[in-house]
Amino acid sequence: MAEIKLENVTYYHGKDTPYEIKALDRINVTIPHGMVTGLIGHTGSGKSTLVQMLNGILRPDEGSVLIDGTDIWEKPKRIRDIRFRVGLAMQYPEYQLFEETVAKDIAFGPKNMGLSELEIEERVKEAASFAGLEPQLLEKSPFDLSGGQKRRAAIAGIIAMRPEVLVLDEPAAGLDPKGREDIFSNILEYHQASRNTVVIVSHSMEDMAKYCDHLIVMNEGAVWMQGDRDYIFSRSDQLTRIGLDIPQITKLMLKLKAHGLDVDGGVYTVEQAIEHVLKLYKK
Amino acid sequence: MKSIALGQFYPSESVLHRLDPRIKVILTILYIVCSFLCKNIVSFALLLLSALVLILLGRIPLKVVLRGLRPVLIILIFTAFLNIFWTKGEHLLFGWKFIQIYTEGLYAAVFIIIRITALIIGTSMLLTYTTTPIALTDAIEDLLLPLKKLHVPVHEFAMMMTIALRFIPTLVEETDKIMTAQKARGADFSTGSLIDRTKALIPILIPLFVSAFNRAGDLATAMECRCYHGGEGRTRMTVRHVRFADFIPLVLLLLLGAALIVFNIVGIGYTM
Repeated sequence: MAEIKLENVTYYHGKDTPYEIKALDRINVTIPHGMVTGLIGHTGSGKSTLVQMLNGILRPDEGSVLIDGTDIWEKPKRIRDIRFRVGLAMQYPEYQLFEETVAKDIAFGPKNMGLSELEIEERVKEAASFAGLEPQLLEKSPFDLSGGQKRRAAIAGIIAMRPEVLVLDEPAAGLDPKGREDIFSNILEYHQASRNTVVIVSHSMEDMAKYCDHLIVMNEGAVWMQGDRDYIFSRSDQLTRIGLDIPQITKLMLKLKAHGLDVDGGVYTVEQAIEHVLKLYKK
Repeated sequence: MKSIALGQFYPSESVLHRLDPRIKVILTILYIVCSFLCKNIVSFALLLLSALVLILLGRIPLKVVLRGLRPVLIILIFTAFLNIFWTKGEHLLFGWKFIQIYTEGLYAAVFIIIRITALIIGTSMLLTYTTTPIALTDAIEDLLLPLKKLHVPVHEFAMMMTIALRFIPTLVEETDKIMTAQKARGADFSTGSLIDRTKALIPILIPLFVSAFNRAGDLATAMECRCYHGGEGRTRMTVRHVRFADFIPLVLLLLLGAALIVFNIVGIGYTM
């Protein structure tokens, strides 16, 4: 079990300076165990700040972060343990690569955990395969990899810690459509194999609709909506109101509805849409 | 990390902000010379007064100025301490076993505190707080222009300085990001022995250097794409002209310097 709960979390960037900004404003969210949770919002809506709360990189100025009911800041000296339980891959994580070989880089996290050589080696292999890295790449220098491969290596470095919760901040940012697809399907495979909680941050509604079970919508440092996928997309109008895009197929269905056809406006995948349209057609 | 005191330009509308940056560079040098000319009580009082006048002229909140002094606080206390306890003189003020404090020591401590404080306030009021880094490097380029006759690549030096200043905040931000990423993987920068902590820096320094080199390469390409070819025949977007009013502070500071020299010769008040 690893359910993360944020209670009344408020956070200021640059606290006590003239540039103080309220980044998070009384956030109350629950990240359910064993699901893929999506965190959506505009740039500057507080998504990245929020994910840095989850593993104790940032400490809330007010409120608390609970994992299975225990405050992660109960023992500030033991915060490192929380970071191993909640693995966070930051935005553009390829910046973090530094070792001579990809394998050594992936081993950085497990090594910090104080695991044995044997265990580390096993985890590196497992993480690399989850992240979709070919085994022959493991002995290469991380700086010789392509952009997409670097991203995978960096994510593998987090997976290798076997965190109970895997948090990915914009895992597909800056990748081409094929790279996006690949990385998301790898993440999904990892989720299905490990049954671990996964949190994905993105501003692409399209991706969110495809891969996430549970969604949290952020707007200007506050939670705008949260709930399961059906619930969120049945309220597409509220998403568009804060300027978030909705999936193309939802747009199409809404247009059809506006033309007087009896279809559901909360549809968010092409498969669902086909089903609906076929049903209508048969009638 | 973000509070690193570099390029702390403080935007405001003041006489000092409007002053020609070239004059400000000269003033700063003169001010430093002045602070070392001080040798007696009257001179130091004058120096302190001039620092206060600069703060008022620059319209920078006192809080900000004092915050700028915080990094040297330890040095101030340490030097004052050394001066009080280790200066030997003729007038014993306090003596107990091996501790002996002389009047001369007290004076020396006060003088050194005034000198360092005035130096920092003077240079930061004249330069860092009131001059944008770009204006500053432009000014330095202009002032070093005579060296061009000696084939010193003045423009190139100025350009390097501009680029270095420009990238400090970027690199600070990047360091922050890399540190966070490594912390998320359980890196520990604050505990362990000195060797452990030094080793802990490797995962930060390597990515930082790699990205700095990449950035440098990108920047060079971008500059070449815009046909940058060095200082030859290059003109400025804003050409600065020295106004008559710009010379007034120069004259005032020269007068201060002259007064200090006179005080040294005449020797009024307690002299070091």
